[in-house]
Amino acid sequence: MSAQRQASSASQTPLISPAELSYLYTSLSLPDGPIRPDGRSATQFRPLTAETDILPGTNGSARVGFADGTQAIVGVKAEVEKTVVAAEALNLSQHTQEEYADNEGGEGKQSSSAGHGSWVQMSIEIPGFRDDDALPVFLSEMMREPLVESVAGGQGGDGEMAGGLKGRLVINKRWHWRLYIDVLLLSQPLSYPLPLLSLTTHLALLSTKLPKLKSKGEEDPFFDDDWNAAEYLYPRSQLKSHLSSTQQVRPPVTLLVISVGDNVVFDPNREEIAVADTVLAVSVTRDTDSEGLKLLSIRTVDPPSRLTQPGVPNSENLATLGSTAAAEEAALLEPSTGEEVSGVWRPRRGGVKRRTIAKMLKLVLEKGGVGEEVLEGLEGVQVG
Amino acid sequence: MPLDTSTTYPLTKLRLDGRRWNELRLLQAQISTNPASSGSSYLAMGNTAILCSVHGPAEGRRGDASGGAAGSAGAVVEVDVNVAGFAGVDRKRRAGGSDKQSSRIATILRSAFQSHLHTHLYPHSTISIHVSVLSADGSLLAAAVNACTLALVDAGIPMPGLLCGCTAGMSGSASTPRDPNNDFLDPLLDLSLPEEQELPFLTVGTTTAVPVGEAAMVNDDEDEMKVAMLTMDSKVHCTYVETMLAVGIDGCKQIREILEGVIKKSARR
Repeated sequence: MSAQRQASSASQTPLISPAELSYLYTSLSLPDGPIRPDGRSATQFRPLTAETDILPGTNGSARVGFADGTQAIVGVKAEVEKTVVAAEALNLSQHTQEEYADNEGGEGKQSSSAGHGSWVQMSIEIPGFRDDDALPVFLSEMMREPLVESVAGGQGGDGEMAGGLKGRLVINKRWHWRLYIDVLLLSQPLSYPLPLLSLTTHLALLSTKLPKLKSKGEEDPFFDDDWNAAEYLYPRSQLKSHLSSTQQVRPPVTLLVISVGDNVVFDPNREEIAVADTVLAVSVTRDTDSEGLKLLSIRTVDPPSRLTQPGVPNSENLATLGSTAAAEEAALLEPSTGEEVSGVWRPRRGGVKRRTIAKMLKLVLEKGGVGEEVLEGLEGVQVG
Repeated sequence: MPLDTSTTYPLTKLRLDGRRWNELRLLQAQISTNPASSGSSYLAMGNTAILCSVHGPAEGRRGDASGGAAGSAGAVVEVDVNVAGFAGVDRKRRAGGSDKQSSRIATILRSAFQSHLHTHLYPHSTISIHVSVLSADGSLLAAAVNACTLALVDAGIPMPGLLCGCTAGMSGSASTPRDPNNDFLDPLLDLSLPEEQELPFLTVGTTTAVPVGEAAMVNDDEDEMKVAMLTMDSKVHCTYVETMLAVGIDGCKQIREILEGVIKKSARR
């Protein structure tokens, strides 16, 4: 168990023999397009079931289950918190108050609408892992980062979402919302859980509601106690919603993309990750009314193929070379060069071609591409 | 938290959520909720919601401290309880992934099911139970017991009967001995969180042995309930315990019928 945890940069390496790895690699890297073990096309996702608003005690919640039985539940809770103004900033503003008396209003507005990334907290529970193990910590940071950094592009965007999620959490200069996002993975991770967790978090955030603010301006906040009047954290445009519901600010979605040879494969399962050349986590979002998606972040995930055992080609294999003497001779004559022999598995080493990354991103971001397809699919889930 | 239980209850005989003293909360349950596990269940008692999944009986983890010697006589039951951060009214931070409450529930569940299940049929193996509390509103332990029972039934692990849990509390001045002149008892069934914080309560788990061998021949119609588990964290005068226990056992009987219904319904599908 502990050894597995150490090696769990991407997920536990499944026990697959070098011959199987080689077979998988070959079929996934075919020039005519990959042949995947489960028969999906390169951009097809695994079938999943999803529901939202399952927990009445949270501000927003969602459950997503893949067909293989892995399930995740996300609950979002919001709390009102006093904004701590940094002492320096306070002093500075006091000192400069006289000088910039007329400027102050504008300044205050700026600082209050900025928000802070630490107001969004994310924790991930994976059975068999502690909270502070590498995998949950890494995953939560990987998902939190695009969430807080996604800032809407100004003019076209909804007024309320001007500062992105961070800006939305600001109530006034002295108060803000703190958002706790708790992710529960209900079963052992059969594959790298990032896509599952990201989709679930996306749905939970979409269904998250905050009580309607009744106080105005810099008053201490008090809220409408009618939950029906609560407003969505990610406001939706009421009028357009049934015409084209795609035109709204959405929480980011993180997709897992792998490259095998020249092919790009989406939503890989565990076996496919095991032979991947590169594993990328790409976060995209739609943050303005404009068409197209916005790329928020790309992270490389340490591919587990690095840790697999290499296969031994027949020319070096003692067992296939008849007598041991001949084999030893052969071994002396041709010491293992580490060169690639076709059909024999070698753990992947080295970087990734610029061309491959460009291809991955194009597939995600292009109009009608995978990113849009995923976001549209998630819109199909009834929220609220 | 000042509560109305003590002020209005004697007058109205209605609890905070409008129940009478002997009424259970709405109990909903499902089994086989998670195809990735051997057995799984979802159980909601009022606003308490619990997901439970069972893995096993399977070979125990190698490299365990106890090694292969553990469970040579029968399966070892492992219980892992996880109270989600969003379960309560306020979001709770827990250091290191477990807190006192959840580890306590885990210990009680482990000892209850270790002795309840027919573990001798699975030597050298482990039955691991994972309980996630999605929303906590009182009677956590009782709900967890019921959820585990359902998941274990789903996993097909033999047991002598359903183990059903229920809470029972006592309102009024339960810390003083009973007044013989004014002998009036106010027991409550199936406590919710505000009641639990205010009143002394106990959690009782009962099971009904399926008649085997000679007992089956006798065919006595009356169900013989056995108390398999009893825990109590709060103080109460000993004269009240009997009443509370009786109320709790009665609740267990009702819960047992509901759980049986759930199991039969899922078997029909």
